[in-house]
Amino acid sequence: MKEIEFSRRAFLRHSLLAIRNSMIVLSLPAILQSVANASEATLQGNSFTTLNTEEAVELAAIAARIIPSDETPGANEAGVIHFIDNVMGTSRPEVLGPLRDGLASLQNTVRATLTERKFSELDPQQQDAILQGIEDTPFFATMRYLTIAGMFSLPEYGGNRDYAGWKLIGFEHRHVWEPPFGFYDADYMARGE
Amino acid sequence: MAQASFATREQVDFVVVGSGAAGGIVTRELATAGFSVVVLEQGPYLQPGDFRHDEWSYTQNEELVWGSRKGHPQTFRRLESEKAEVVDGAPLGYAHNVGGSSVHFSGNFWRLHPIDFNEASVRGTIAGTNFTDWPISYDELEPYYTRVDWEIGVSGTTGPWDPPRSRDYPCPPMPVKSAGVLLERAARALGYTAFPAPVAILSQPFNGRPACIHCGFCNGFGCEVAAKSSTAVTMIPQALATGNCELRTGCTVSRINTANDGRVNEVVYWEEDGTEQAQRAKAVVLCANGAETPRLLFLSASDQHPDGLANSSGMVGRNLMFNGSSNAAGLFPEAINGHKSIATTRVIHDFYSIDPKHGFYGGGGIDSRSLTRGLPMAAAMRGGIFSGASWGSDFKRGLAEEFTHTASFNGHCTTLPLSSNNITLDPEVKDKWGRPALRTTFMNHSDDIATMKFFHDVSMELLDAAGAIKKVGAYARNGQTGGVHLLGTCRMGNDPATSVVDRFNRAHDVPNLFMVDGSSMVTSGRGQPTMTIMALAFRAADHIIQAARRNEI
Repeated sequence: MKEIEFSRRAFLRHSLLAIRNSMIVLSLPAILQSVANASEATLQGNSFTTLNTEEAVELAAIAARIIPSDETPGANEAGVIHFIDNVMGTSRPEVLGPLRDGLASLQNTVRATLTERKFSELDPQQQDAILQGIEDTPFFATMRYLTIAGMFSLPEYGGNRDYAGWKLIGFEHRHVWEPPFGFYDADYMARGE
Repeated sequence: MAQASFATREQVDFVVVGSGAAGGIVTRELATAGFSVVVLEQGPYLQPGDFRHDEWSYTQNEELVWGSRKGHPQTFRRLESEKAEVVDGAPLGYAHNVGGSSVHFSGNFWRLHPIDFNEASVRGTIAGTNFTDWPISYDELEPYYTRVDWEIGVSGTTGPWDPPRSRDYPCPPMPVKSAGVLLERAARALGYTAFPAPVAILSQPFNGRPACIHCGFCNGFGCEVAAKSSTAVTMIPQALATGNCELRTGCTVSRINTANDGRVNEVVYWEEDGTEQAQRAKAVVLCANGAETPRLLFLSASDQHPDGLANSSGMVGRNLMFNGSSNAAGLFPEAINGHKSIATTRVIHDFYSIDPKHGFYGGGGIDSRSLTRGLPMAAAMRGGIFSGASWGSDFKRGLAEEFTHTASFNGHCTTLPLSSNNITLDPEVKDKWGRPALRTTFMNHSDDIATMKFFHDVSMELLDAAGAIKKVGAYARNGQTGGVHLLGTCRMGNDPATSVVDRFNRAHDVPNLFMVDGSSMVTSGRGQPTMTIMALAFRAADHIIQAARRNEI
């Protein structure tokens, strides 16, 4: 999954650079189709139950900027979109409508300010700029909430795959721990304080 | 012996409403003394094996602490002149399950000190408040504190920081965590004393229950090995084993009915499927907590009690107190790992009473914690504590740095009783049963806020002394908007004109009605009220049993 994602990113970056240089404008629809195919590939493993594929691709792209894939895995590798899909159909059905409205509004912003059609087709810098513009909106707050919840909840809810979220912050899930728990209590014991 | 079973038309000796910290103890005491008892509990009877490390469910989906999502909306406002609005979640938080909040609490188990009972006499009353002495002294309650220690199971160590105690703790203190070491060292550097936090969590096997396994999902969760000394794993099983007690879960009380003579005679409730039942009883003990007990009294208004049951004083629901709080989080160079083991292991009580020369009333303690209970999702939601970033790569890197390396020194302190801080019935919003929603009106006295600031400032100094690289602190500078310590709303007193229950928790107005929970506390204490709620429950039960045997109920 990670490999596909990175290659998609690279592909997008190069494509958009090319678009800006007006070199391959005529082949844009074909490129975007292949990008969409690549995005769908990153979302495989579970079919979506509540979101449609396009919504999933777009929301996943937002989640991927909230917790990006950089030197460590991000929302994409953790499957956060599957968590979002899951809770939209279970514990947060009331959020689905506002989320769809927010996404539509975001796409309008994208269309109004940039030449590309969809948020997911922008490069990361453009995506960040768009998101910075809506940081104070309920839609962004909801996406941040859902992304974090999906990143750090039990994997059974669809996200936090391979404990990607927990590994990121140094949380190891166990039922039994024994002292010493950290550096300072180990030091305290060693010194006999 | 098997759990008893009573017909609703059969008049049992007692109905106990609520099976939490107080209800569990009252039930066990009454049943052990041979009385027939029916306990009504809104929530389920969860067993240790039911508890999971499921942050999404417990902290975000009201698994134990019900609010709007579970059909129990609450409303909140600052002033009585305002319209209260529905608040997301539960501004007044309490667990809905057998054992109540003793199941999910941190287990922090401070006793009150002697000064808590007579502070108005010692320090003087405070204009504009209902600050007054308790009708009982520390010495009268001390034997019951000790009973709690030994019946429930408490870990700690005796020292000069303790109020006087007649017997040592049954279990030694819990092993110190890194945040506790940092607090202890900082305290030493500044001339204060940090001591092992007393907790209702077992450091070694006790009464057939095992020691804590330090799993970390403690505060806000239920204990998967029954090492946390909730009434669900201590008192309730013992009560059921007497054969005199029937526990009815999933039962929500709608009202307590009054006979023509003004005495209560029946508790009306819904079973989980909505079937209405009414249990006849000789006496009723309300242990529904400082929010639900006054709410039930209002819901039980009748011709004999037009302003709410037992409310001739007009004090039902008033004097709502939480405990004040502050936090100060520090980033440290080495690993702290707040996600392991219990909430807190060291506490400072050097400021139990703040010097009056500061110009305000207050006091409290500071303990060592994780800022976000050691929970991954909570830490990320809070996020960017020191990095400032709330999303993106910098946010990620900040989390990776902060989660394991942050300690928080938290203040826990007094709040003053005010008539204008209260629980009432919301005039518009209803819960899933159609009952008027719980409405909270609350704005801290200025001394409360000054006290929280004081503890915040001391905690920041302690972080410096502990060697924090970065630090950030907070307190409710505009006043608290909710709480989990729900105190004072049926205050205890000798004068029926200014209090709701007498010194033995009996309603002044209704001889066969008792309120036993945080609602009877006259002052807030400095924090961690459950130990006192439990001691009051043992004491009240003692007197209820004696009165019942003398036919004086």
